Amino acid sequence: MTQPLLQLRDLHKHFRLPSAPFTPKPVLRAVDGVDLDLMKGETLGLVGESGCGKSTLARTVIRLHEPTSGSILFDGKDVSKGSDRQTGTFRRRVQMIFQDPYASLNPRMSVGELIAEPLDIGGIGTPAERRKKVADLLDRVGLPSDSGARFAHEFSGGQRQRIGIARAIALEPDLVICDEPISALDVSVQAQVVNMLEDLQAELGLTYLFITHDLSMVRHISDRIGVMYLGRIVELASSADLYHRPSHPYTRALLSAIPVPDPEAARAVEPMQGEIPSPIDIPSGCRFRTRCPMATDLCARVDPPLTDVGGGHLSACHFAGELAQQSTGA
Amino acid sequence: MTQTVLSVRDLATSFFTRRGEVQAVRGVSFDVRPGEILGLVGESGSGKSITCMSVLRLLKTGGRIKSGSANFEGTDLLSLDENALSDLRGNRIGVIFQDPMTSLNPTLTVGEQVMEAILRHRSISRAQARARAVELFELVRIPSAAARLKSYPHEFSGGMRQRVMIAIALACDPKLLIADEPTTALDVTIQRQILALLKDLQQRLGMAVILITHDLGVIAEVTDRVLVLYGGLVMETAPVRELFAAPGHPYTVGLLGAVPDLRDDTHRRLTPIPGSPPNMLAPPPGCPFAPRCPHAMTRCLAELPPLFGEGHQSRCWLQHPDAPKVDAVHEVAA
Repeated sequence: MTQPLLQLRDLHKHFRLPSAPFTPKPVLRAVDGVDLDLMKGETLGLVGESGCGKSTLARTVIRLHEPTSGSILFDGKDVSKGSDRQTGTFRRRVQMIFQDPYASLNPRMSVGELIAEPLDIGGIGTPAERRKKVADLLDRVGLPSDSGARFAHEFSGGQRQRIGIARAIALEPDLVICDEPISALDVSVQAQVVNMLEDLQAELGLTYLFITHDLSMVRHISDRIGVMYLGRIVELASSADLYHRPSHPYTRALLSAIPVPDPEAARAVEPMQGEIPSPIDIPSGCRFRTRCPMATDLCARVDPPLTDVGGGHLSACHFAGELAQQSTGA
Repeated sequence: MTQTVLSVRDLATSFFTRRGEVQAVRGVSFDVRPGEILGLVGESGSGKSITCMSVLRLLKTGGRIKSGSANFEGTDLLSLDENALSDLRGNRIGVIFQDPMTSLNPTLTVGEQVMEAILRHRSISRAQARARAVELFELVRIPSAAARLKSYPHEFSGGMRQRVMIAIALACDPKLLIADEPTTALDVTIQRQILALLKDLQQRLGMAVILITHDLGVIAEVTDRVLVLYGGLVMETAPVRELFAAPGHPYTVGLLGAVPDLRDDTHRRLTPIPGSPPNMLAPPPGCPFAPRCPHAMTRCLAELPPLFGEGHQSRCWLQHPDAPKVDAVHEVAA
């Protein structure tokens, strides 16, 4: 049995917003109680609409944001608090690939310097060893060997994302958090980057937390998928199970909204109404009830916990059991 | 013979920059028929947006239409004087852009902006224009329409702002609506709402729509006919069902192979298109896709193929009667 590499326990990240004098500051609950286990070597996809808190969750895990409450266990050790000295090699072992390959690379540094930067900061190797390592990394992500002397602006979006990936794997991390790594890229280039991420995972034994709003791509790349809504995971299952047996009304709505590249495919008739509520004012009870076609009085009163509907498939809905059954029957 | 709403012929547009001439559109021709949704699909730099911006003559600084014509209701939009063109834009031709935040004026209420669009083209009173604005908001299903006229754009969500944009575009009952990536900035559930709305309005109002997108899913879902653009040229054009059932150009085949199929459990490895799109400062002399094409022949690199076929057309030498028979679809998928 593989053991969890990362464990999140009731993780919260709230932001206090500015307000008029003498009025209470509104609190934006971006991440509002997330429990999640990430196994070694797996790819966990995290999907949701903008504002659901998926990027904040990623940034909190890597401690670009300090968590408001809850714990982050990495390899069994709590890394949610304390200085870098106390959390040890955590920062080295967790790396991130960012969405925008245009904004996340310093335009004044050469590609060689960019890729060597994590090695320099980590104080790893002699200068000669670092140069060799940079050459290896360039080769590994499929960039020409003369790229090191050039600058980021000389590269296309897909190539820049490769530079970002080379930076992320330079320190041989265990966990790589990919925050929308392909959203800014063209379709033909997306497939190149996704295939490369899969190859790197196989070669280096990486664990991925893969954040995206692209539901087709997440199904392709993930072993398990978590669906986020208003700061919380509302459904979590293996990717095939999630698509065959969606057991939360929100997941169902999301799946039926994906445009399928096949004109003959059956279309959902009625699109889901309404929009995601503000995370400053999260609905009582079930947070999805304001858009849910199945909502009852119970949903307004009681916040449904994540429960197992069979085979480790978790759903936070009062009617999860029924929904799971329906999907199996259909 | 079927009439056309818009008939574009041999359109060529370039941008003149410090580094030289960027040949964004290199001879694009197409017709838009009444009441149809024509999809323009392509990756960034394919020329899909520039084609439409040229037709509307809304090119950014440095952009120049080098040749071609765009016949709309008997007038050539490309040679029309600026005043006459302004009378058409926003009136007979409506436009929706990708980013609803930057296309709305943040200092005016949305009601003012809808009324402005109406009053620019109609000689009616402000009260009548306001009534029409309420009507339009109801048409695009903005709840409590009358009250929301007084809101500012920042008080609206992305989806609602796009509805306002659609209301403005429809203000004067256009014959043609040009929608440039109208749902790209939106979430899937909101995208679904906006696409359903557009399709419904198109059918009810009987207008023609040009929908520009990079998303093949969106193309499959709402369009009737498709132009596939690459390197500033039309590579393939076909009715939507034919395009997906029997793509005739290796580029189209490549695009379809590069997206994962949601219904596929086998975890097929994606088939990326190797390389990157051509540099339009110096486009290749032959087929622009040839350097990335698995079937490229000597002739492809040297000579630009014409569009072969009727109805379903493909710009590929493999379609030439004397060409070797290659099963492009299955070979790439294998």
